[in-house]
Amino acid sequence: MLELARFEGRRKLKGALALAVGLSLLAAMDVWVFPSVTASGVDLEQFVEAYPPALRRMMGIEAFGSIEGFLASQLYVFAWLILLGLYLAYSAASLIADDVERGRMDVTLSLPVTRSRVVAEKYLTLLVPVLVVNAVTPVVVSVGVALVGESISLGRLIAVHALSVPYLLATGGIGLLASVAFDRASVAQRVAMGVTFGLYLAESVLAGTDYRQVGLLAPSRYYDPTAILVRGEYDLAGAAILLGMVAVLVGASALWFGRKDVQ
Amino acid sequence: MAPIKVDGLTRRYGDVVANDGVTFTVEAGEVFGYLGPNGAGKTTTIRTLMGLQSPTAGTARVLGADVRDERALVAARRRIGYLPASPAFDEGATGREILDLHASLKGDRRRDELLALFDPPLDRKVREYSTGNVQKLGLIQAFVHDPDLVILDEPTSGLDPLMQQRFNEFVREERDAGTTVFFSSHVLSEVRRVCDRVAILRDGRLLTIEDVETLLDRSGKFVRVRLAGDAEAVDLDRNGVHDPQVSTVTGAQLADGADAGTVTEVTFTFTGDVNDLVGAFAGHRLLDLDLQEAPLEDVFMRFYGEGTDA
Repeated sequence: MLELARFEGRRKLKGALALAVGLSLLAAMDVWVFPSVTASGVDLEQFVEAYPPALRRMMGIEAFGSIEGFLASQLYVFAWLILLGLYLAYSAASLIADDVERGRMDVTLSLPVTRSRVVAEKYLTLLVPVLVVNAVTPVVVSVGVALVGESISLGRLIAVHALSVPYLLATGGIGLLASVAFDRASVAQRVAMGVTFGLYLAESVLAGTDYRQVGLLAPSRYYDPTAILVRGEYDLAGAAILLGMVAVLVGASALWFGRKDVQ
Repeated sequence: MAPIKVDGLTRRYGDVVANDGVTFTVEAGEVFGYLGPNGAGKTTTIRTLMGLQSPTAGTARVLGADVRDERALVAARRRIGYLPASPAFDEGATGREILDLHASLKGDRRRDELLALFDPPLDRKVREYSTGNVQKLGLIQAFVHDPDLVILDEPTSGLDPLMQQRFNEFVREERDAGTTVFFSSHVLSEVRRVCDRVAILRDGRLLTIEDVETLLDRSGKFVRVRLAGDAEAVDLDRNGVHDPQVSTVTGAQLADGADAGTVTEVTFTFTGDVNDLVGAFAGHRLLDLDLQEAPLEDVFMRFYGEGTDA
């Protein structure tokens, strides 16, 4: 088992490390600017109070004057919830479609493997970037925070990374489904990113309205870096829902790919 | 049990019928050529046999497994080798990594032996491979697990003539060792060298299945003769001569520059006995005699009628 996942996962390692380095640099920069921002005498809390509530929610702004609140918004909502979420959707969207488009799938499916196994093992390779990024960055953040003379709860820091894993796997699931639905990788990538970002926007914008049920479908509803870092609230039910979404998305992709013609 | 049994296989893409009730059986231990011009529907049949697409109607069995039954087909694929029309591999992987993957899933009993015959640069990434090297890697992975049935879609495209010849010898040896080989081509001369039987497909329909000798007898040779003098007397009205064309040139030059006087050029397709052919020119001074395999398109036109459904 897992021969295909190992074969493809190995090739994702380099890119995952590069991604981890990039996000670590971003994290280090956020940690580094925090003391000077607070020392500047600007009352950040008051400043962000001027934002409309919907925007504050969208950007996860809460307790902005604390390192937890600052990182939650500047690093985890921006880079994890939005950027990494989109990256996973984008990256997953090429898993099947790119192989089909380039004719590699013909050779893969000549091997004695079922189509659902191909889908599942390809999906598993997403764990490489997800795990590498979430293993490297918290180390950089905790060391950085100590260096600038601040302190952050290690438990909350670990939780914000650990609970991002089901979230990122869910956006990857959206990408995977798009990858099965469309035979051209570029189309699948655009659709996956559009749907992921659209769901995030819909969830944030509609949260206070009568249409908030739409947000139930959005993975971003079940991962709240601000609640974890600022308030220490770990939404384990949310994580379970995200894993349920993963099961549905991967299962649907496997069933669909099992039935469709590979062109 | 026949390694391949195709039964009324039909595949439509909207209004286009890529395969129309195709029926044939490939027997164990034969090399079976699947011949037809580009666009005839050969790849459609092959990809259906591999379970990559499903039939609109009819079905096929490979090594006893119905191509519509994924479980059965996956099990059968352990003993099937496949080379797609344009094989593609993960470009970031080396040839060795790809063969290792194939080995881990289906075995690689014959790896060393095949690498001695076809030798792609294994430690380079596929991205750096030439078309020929990709094709070699494709051939190796198709045979590496010592399959009972090998399905090849235009296997010699991209191979240089030397490699083509090596491939032909290899296929014959495989056949002698009991492997069943099914391969498609649009080049008659290619299939004649290695195939035992040939099925001819055009516009999605199977026109005929023949022994390769029978087919060659029927398809004939393209003959071009240049002879000195006026050739009114050449007797072309004999068995096996089709579409004779005679043209006369006066004052032509020979290769050595000498004046040849009048030269007659005769072309025709010949399906008869070669001795008759030689006899037809007895008493004439031949300047040049050229015999070629009749082009596949001519074979189709001659024997299967043009314009019926093209």
